[in-house]
Amino acid sequence: MEERLVPVVCPYCGVGCRLHVRSVDGYPLGIEYAGDIPGISNEKGKLCPKGNAVVEYLLAKDRLTKPLKAKEEGKFVEISWDEAIKEIAERLKAYTKDDPDQIMFFGCARTFNEPNYLIQKLARMLGTNNVDHCARLCHSSTVSGLRAVFGAGAMTNTYRDIEEANVIFIIGHNYAETHPVGFRYVIKAKERGAKVIVADPRFTRTAWHADIFLQHYPGSDIALLNGLIHVIIKEKLYDERFVRERCTGFDEVVKAVEKYTPEFVEKVTGVPKELIIEAARTFATAGKGVITWAMGLTQHTHGHDNVRLAATLSAICGYQGREGCGVSPMRGQNNVQGACDMAALPNYFPGYGLVTDPEKRAFFEEFWGVPLSGEPGLTAVEAAYAIDRGKVKAYYVMGENPVISEANANHVMHALQKLEFMVVQDIVPTPTMQFADIVLPAAAMLENEGSITNTERRVQWSFQAAKPPGEARPDWWIVSEIGKAVGFDKAGPKGFIYGSAEDILREINACTPQYRGITPERLKANLAGIHWPCPSEDHPGTRFLYRDRFLTPDGKAHLAAVEHRDPAELPDEEYPFLLTTIRYVGQYHTATMTMRSESLKKRWPEPLAEIHPEDAEKLGIKTGDWIVVETRRGKYPIRAKVTRLVKKGVIAVPWHWGANVLTNDALDPDSKIPETKVCACRARKVSEEEAKKVMEELPPVIPKLEVIKG
Amino acid sequence: MARKTIFIDFSKCIECLACEVACEREHNGKSHIKVFEWQEMAAMALNCRHCETAPCVEVCPTNALYRDEDGAVILAPQKCIGCLMCGIVCPFGIPELDLINKIMGKCDLCAHRRKEGKLPACAETCPTDALVFGEWNEIIRERRRKFTEKTIELSKKAEGISLQGV
Repeated sequence: MEERLVPVVCPYCGVGCRLHVRSVDGYPLGIEYAGDIPGISNEKGKLCPKGNAVVEYLLAKDRLTKPLKAKEEGKFVEISWDEAIKEIAERLKAYTKDDPDQIMFFGCARTFNEPNYLIQKLARMLGTNNVDHCARLCHSSTVSGLRAVFGAGAMTNTYRDIEEANVIFIIGHNYAETHPVGFRYVIKAKERGAKVIVADPRFTRTAWHADIFLQHYPGSDIALLNGLIHVIIKEKLYDERFVRERCTGFDEVVKAVEKYTPEFVEKVTGVPKELIIEAARTFATAGKGVITWAMGLTQHTHGHDNVRLAATLSAICGYQGREGCGVSPMRGQNNVQGACDMAALPNYFPGYGLVTDPEKRAFFEEFWGVPLSGEPGLTAVEAAYAIDRGKVKAYYVMGENPVISEANANHVMHALQKLEFMVVQDIVPTPTMQFADIVLPAAAMLENEGSITNTERRVQWSFQAAKPPGEARPDWWIVSEIGKAVGFDKAGPKGFIYGSAEDILREINACTPQYRGITPERLKANLAGIHWPCPSEDHPGTRFLYRDRFLTPDGKAHLAAVEHRDPAELPDEEYPFLLTTIRYVGQYHTATMTMRSESLKKRWPEPLAEIHPEDAEKLGIKTGDWIVVETRRGKYPIRAKVTRLVKKGVIAVPWHWGANVLTNDALDPDSKIPETKVCACRARKVSEEEAKKVMEELPPVIPKLEVIKG
Repeated sequence: MARKTIFIDFSKCIECLACEVACEREHNGKSHIKVFEWQEMAAMALNCRHCETAPCVEVCPTNALYRDEDGAVILAPQKCIGCLMCGIVCPFGIPELDLINKIMGKCDLCAHRRKEGKLPACAETCPTDALVFGEWNEIIRERRRKFTEKTIELSKKAEGISLQGV
């Protein structure tokens, strides 16, 4: 019996909070706050409810403990690891011989950098760039948009800069609910006298703390941002010197925002013109300002342009390359930044070298010792359609749950059914496993060690706090075994022979410029982590980017001139409401972990659709009634909550329990992100029986896997 | 003696319920702090106030309720008979009946954590510092200082107002 306090990183959101897990002989008993570690992202060891409940999901009764093979759809038999690895390797080899682009790999933003590096290495060494992960569904437009303007797709600053800012503009981001510990810095800045401007279609908990609240219609972000830029330029509040010396394309911006007068913007967005003028003045004259955003800005068919405009707004005010300034896209998963850096993306190599760039490709061909494909691969949503066309025949899904998380889930399920071969690697049964041929039991993040990158580019080492249940294995072990079985059994970077996560991180150090100095030894010695870029072992890490120049080829910020576009689907006579999706603070994404945590499940047991009182009265709906929300793609039964938090004509539905059967998978042309945040819908009141009937047709959030003998 | 307790600043509460979940973990599945939504999207946590003249301590027939060295009102489970008197007199309705053990349950300001020199879990975890554990008068003094600073800052910004004579 030995009680240990193990320093880990929280397995939930992108804030990357440190905490200690108290464990006895590998059995997790509880947690302790990490107030004793200086310089961490959660100052004084603060944690949100999910962080407080991290031990509960580890002890879930239905954790996967043995590899499973499907006899028929949804019915499994237990097999050994050897059999599982052998079968997967053989099938992968067979598809590769034919055409490697028939396989699609999914990385995972909830596991460490190392397995993400390995999965994209496996995909690329097999000859395909078909590798993607859930960043496609959340921040792919941030990566592409920020790269277009500033040259790199990451948060430019850290939480300390938010704390030191004089104005914080929060757009499309329910900061208080999605990143409660990060919101601490907004509250601290506010206490110091900073102004908080919140733009959101819904009156959120974040809005409650705002000095200025702009309630615009879902999908009207471009008009709102253009309106703010219009006022700033008209009143000459922009930073002339910064624009002259460090930006290009300002004249086009002036021309493009000409027609976005406060009066015009009021018509399009529904925000009173006085508020637009006040917000613009407050933002531009503060001296130090930060813009933060999340899904509300990115999940649109014009998400790429939204992000470019937000970056433009920041740049013309001169809020770049200084302390207390910057743009902060808030990442959803604890390692989504890392998974992007490791290039679990179809168009980049590790460190954001384009796969189409012959120089970068030559480097990795030499490094991995195999010829590589120069064609960008398929993205998550495109892959589902490629199955329809017979182009993709096999999926390897590492820790993802596309049945709940992808837009237009009915189509996703329909596509997965057609797959010839699908491997799902996860810690608990998910609805996606219904379609799997092989299910691999993975060790949870806390049962495993590795490096992890939070939203502020802070790379931290998380230690192993508990023993994995049964035969569950670390993600990196599983992928490296498959790599070896496929035939990549050379030593060093040319193969998949690894003894530990450290070995893999050393290989990452060697091929990823941003991570060059972030060695396992340094990370283990420095629990607060290191912010990339860190080009050498004696480099202290970089707190904010772009001090002297931007990372674009000419070193300047490329300002965006963008016209307002409507969302792909707007309300009409048949579907008169706007549907938008929301989240709860105590539930997390596809709820696989949070719905297995008793203390969270108790407090956030079910979703409630928010509907405005006037709309509710017309439909005869009262709080607590069952309704069915319908779109052109699906039906979703849910109980109603009548509230003035949403605008008239808008229905807001939490998506943790599978509301993505409703959402639209129309894609942004640049970043290929689906428009999950806006679509047209209708609602009607139903009896409880009818609602239950509709619910039975939907995939269960917490499914039971049927394991049969023989 | 100055007494340490939990100060609640409801203007900072974001209703994340981290305090409830933390309390529940520290107290075997039972949370002794409760967050009330007093207006949609605005909330406030309420736990035992550990009153100066605590009616619960005064009415307890078996002296199961007592005050420890930090001034926290603590329930000694072996003495409690579950008569509910403390619950009847508490103006906040804090003591609850634990039906399994047939005794009362209430906030003990995390006695086991204080013994190890740590803060009560709710105050330790609160992401926005809406809950602060400390000596009451000090917290109030700090609040007064911040308010004064803010007022001076504001009046400096305002034109035509002189600070002289204020």
